[in-house]
Amino acid sequence: MAARRAAVKAIDWIAFAERVPPNQKAQFTALKARSDAIYSKFLSTPEKPAAINFAFYKSRLANPALVDEFEQKFNAVKIPEPMDTYTAGLDEAQKKAQADVQKFITDSNARIKKYEEQASVYKSLPPTDLMTYDDVFAAFPEMKPDKEKYPIWPHKPIE
Amino acid sequence: MLSRLAARSAAVVAQQNHGARVCVVAPSRLFHCSGQHGRPIEPLPEEGGKVRMGVFPEEWFQFFYKKTGVTGPYVFGTGLLATLMSKEYIIVNNEFIAGGIFVGFVVYCVRNFGPTVATYADKLRQERVDFIDNKKGRFLTDCENAIETEKKEQWRAEGVDYLFEAKKANVAMQLETAYRERVHEVSNAVKRRLDYQLDVENTQRRMAQEHMADWVVNNVVSSITPQQEKEAIAKCIEDLKRMAKAS
Repeated sequence: MAARRAAVKAIDWIAFAERVPPNQKAQFTALKARSDAIYSKFLSTPEKPAAINFAFYKSRLANPALVDEFEQKFNAVKIPEPMDTYTAGLDEAQKKAQADVQKFITDSNARIKKYEEQASVYKSLPPTDLMTYDDVFAAFPEMKPDKEKYPIWPHKPIE
Repeated sequence: MLSRLAARSAAVVAQQNHGARVCVVAPSRLFHCSGQHGRPIEPLPEEGGKVRMGVFPEEWFQFFYKKTGVTGPYVFGTGLLATLMSKEYIIVNNEFIAGGIFVGFVVYCVRNFGPTVATYADKLRQERVDFIDNKKGRFLTDCENAIETEKKEQWRAEGVDYLFEAKKANVAMQLETAYRERVHEVSNAVKRRLDYQLDVENTQRRMAQEHMADWVVNNVVSSITPQQEKEAIAKCIEDLKRMAKAS
């Protein structure tokens, strides 16, 4: 019966846990708990039930024909498999999530590029003791004294 | 000093243009409208230029050296001083002495307090440089951290497949469990029915046996006559008496 369906894949929970962002740890723990419950239930259900000893019943019962009938019908019965209505939805959601991830990665790469550009601007500055004040103010605008707010003498434009 | 500046500028320009530009006096840094204005400035010399006798620049001696030899500048200087004093351009009077004392005082001050002041000025300058360096370093570290974080987040986002794998595995496990439960249910139902049949037969057999035993006992009891009963009691009493006598 195990060959009938692809064997249930083992999940690498350790690798998974490493990749979970810290703000989603609680959700991850909940998922892990539920999965563990499902897994333990799966493990505790044996694959085949204990076989029925028809010969024993046949020797004991007054009417062996009845047992034969039971046996025939039991062997003939087709047990319907439960319908899988979730995997399709999951596939779709996975595709959507992957598209989202791709978009995030593109955006993130753009951000990385921006950071690198900014860093390269600062890396290409001359050594600090060779910079003039104009250079410094161009590189760090927040260091430029605000002459509007804190004017120096003579506090008015020179004619 | 202008002469020293001129000499240095000429050297710099000659170095940069490989002598292509003939220019005796050129500033080391041209005006901002030239192509050179974006050039990074050169570091300021840490020490002053070389001098002889405390005040006379070495360049002057080099200038004389080619024309007059080693003693030329000294002869020229002595002659110049003698001419100035002889023609009374320099008059040695009370003011000359006062001037000499003033110059001596200035030299004393520079020699005595110069290094301290220079150290203090260097410290101030170094503080500003360090401040800007720190700012730059912090900014670069921030950029690096941000890039690191972005890469880590990308790596984490790529882990979304783990989530869906786990969910799919859960679905598969639940389906399998449900299927197995159904198998169990069928098997249990058949077994229960067979057990029922067995129990029914066992019970019937047991009841039939009991009934037969009852019937036999009843028939035996009903077949006993009063005459037989009396005889049995008499026999019993006789037995008891014999037993009493024997004891």
